[in-house]
Amino acid sequence: MLVLNDIIGSVNDEDIAEKLHHHGHHDRIEFIRMNVADTARSRQKVTTDKGTEYGIALSRDKRLYNGAVLLMDDQRAVVIRVNEEEWLRLSPVSTDAALELGYNAGNLHWRIRFDGPDLLVALEGPAQRYIDRLSGLIDAKRVTVIQP
Amino acid sequence: MNTSFDLNSLAGPARVGIGGPVGSGKTALIEKLIPAFQQRQIEIGIITNDLVTKEDAERLRKSGLIDPERVMAVEAGACPHTVIREDPTLNIEAAEQMTINFPDIELILIESGGDNLASTFSLDLVDQWMFVIDVAGGDDIPRKKGPGVLQSDLLMINKKDLAPYVGVDFDAMYSEAKNVRENRPVVAINSRSGEGVEQVVDYIVSNLLFNKAMS
Ligand SMILES: Nc1nc2c(ncn2[C@@H]2O[C@H](COP(=O)(O)OP(=O)(O)OP(=O)(O)O)[C@@H](O)[C@H]2O)c(=O)[nH]1
Ligand SMILES: [Mg+2]
Repeated sequence: MLVLNDIIGSVNDEDIAEKLHHHGHHDRIEFIRMNVADTARSRQKVTTDKGTEYGIALSRDKRLYNGAVLLMDDQRAVVIRVNEEEWLRLSPVSTDAALELGYNAGNLHWRIRFDGPDLLVALEGPAQRYIDRLSGLIDAKRVTVIQP
Repeated sequence: MNTSFDLNSLAGPARVGIGGPVGSGKTALIEKLIPAFQQRQIEIGIITNDLVTKEDAERLRKSGLIDPERVMAVEAGACPHTVIREDPTLNIEAAEQMTINFPDIELILIESGGDNLASTFSLDLVDQWMFVIDVAGGDDIPRKKGPGVLQSDLLMINKKDLAPYVGVDFDAMYSEAKNVRENRPVVAINSRSGEGVEQVVDYIVSNLLFNKAMS
């Protein structure tokens, strides 16, 4: 298994883009799909969409990102594809429901975003897992769930 | 601290977090992991986290299993999860110091202080993290779906030997854990006898220590 130790650059870098374009024509680009959370790992074992296994071992000041190129030679290019994130939309019906929802989301260390009166929660697992945690608020119809 | 050494130009050792409730057997597991890694010629270092003492570090240093200098202690001084998730700076610094002091170390194990089922590790600190629960803590723990049980890269169910004494159907507890984790890895272990420990070592080697996995 080959170990990839560096990020060569981004698919948007001019010189890289040119070579990638060429590799693309010959079906020589391998993509590694991963979730946002996993981009924080310096070391991991991955499998590309073509089924090749690689080890990734980066120095700890580097971080993977969408479009990061980890390998480029005459034979192939290896590129990171970060999966689009899904967000669960939670809509509190009142101020006190909103306070309680905010308390719960913080207490559970969910990654969140605000959108007007709604709270968006980044899904790092099945939506039901998050909904179960709020069953009190949801069953009492104090918070409405809008699934992605 | 010696900073002339440029840590960042190197990938450095792999880092693995070991978390789990108080008394579930985290230190006991490490006591079995040390000789298991030694046998495979893999150099390791250990960082323990305790509340306000260095109890676990002292225990490991006195064990005779490992060079006492390769065991470092971080005192959390607060809820144990604070220093492995919200602000892992103290542990990151300890890991960097360990790397400077012992450049031959290939793997650093970080034991979290015993915490609740919600504790998780920051991936800025570790590459992978494992969670240790035990049969004596109750066979309903997997059902409670705590983040530690659900999100850890590897879940270990320890004290398998005690199952008959605490009225736990081990196989049922194991398959329930597999179930809630949607088939992500679960290993049954007994940190007294060492049962299951080789599987844990295999997992770490195959997922993180690539050059060892090849040989
Ligand atoms: N019978 C049995 N006892 C075990 C096993 N693993 C650990 N123990 C015992 O459980 C107790 C707690 O083990 P520790 O290794 O100290 O637990 P810990 O998770 O490190 O505890 P904290 O660091 O205080 O959270 C000790 O008395 C161990 O000897 C096991 O597999 N079987
Ligand atoms: Mg301990």
